[in-house]
Amino acid sequence: MEAAGAAAAGHAEEHHGPPEAHRSSRVEPQLLGMLLFIISEVMIFGAFFTAYFFIRVVNGDPWPAPGTQLPVAVAGVNTAILLSSSLTMHWALSSVKNGNRFGLKAGILSTFLLGATFLFVQINEYANIGFAPHDSAQGSIFYGLTGLHGAHVFIGLTLLAMVTVRSFRGHFSPEQHRGVEVPGIYWHFVDVMWIIVYSTVYVL
Amino acid sequence: MLNPLRSEAEAFRFLIYVVVTVALIVGAVLLGRAIF
Repeated sequence: MEAAGAAAAGHAEEHHGPPEAHRSSRVEPQLLGMLLFIISEVMIFGAFFTAYFFIRVVNGDPWPAPGTQLPVAVAGVNTAILLSSSLTMHWALSSVKNGNRFGLKAGILSTFLLGATFLFVQINEYANIGFAPHDSAQGSIFYGLTGLHGAHVFIGLTLLAMVTVRSFRGHFSPEQHRGVEVPGIYWHFVDVMWIIVYSTVYVL
Repeated sequence: MLNPLRSEAEAFRFLIYVVVTVALIVGAVLLGRAIF
């Protein structure tokens, strides 16, 4: 009786919060969630790219619409800014794994600022590009694809803001850094999508 | 096998592969356009 009581007390010490959820998958829940999320994202971007390829390949319409021009060089610099932010993100996570708190804080803050710069340049581009989404099918697709990506950058910035605040409050350690790791995966995904958007919409 | 969803490090490596692959494709297409 006494042993059973001690075992129950020991169990109570080990487990906190509600009982663990039933798992029907062998895949780790966090990984499964991220996998399903990325699959749904690929489908969303795929729908927009289908419209893009329909216009350019099936219809054979000129790209961009006649009388309009895309700021390839400015978007190229913006691409470099976004790629740099992935580098600083990687630096931040490597730092927290090695117990380097300065590297974590500097890396995360730099990532946030570079991401915010990217979004600012993108909005500025919209303001000066000279055509609206309703002007042509090409315009609709341009704003649709770049806007969809911009929305993802905004979500990423929200996550990064939370990670930045937590980093400056002393959260995360070499053992506990999932809160940096998962937004990091998301941020690199956003960069991968931009590389594809930039090369197809602006360059090719 | 590389799984970009497993860790940030793998996602970063995947990003580098994508950048290199896309740069090669874009370079080949632009070169092809210039020649033909």
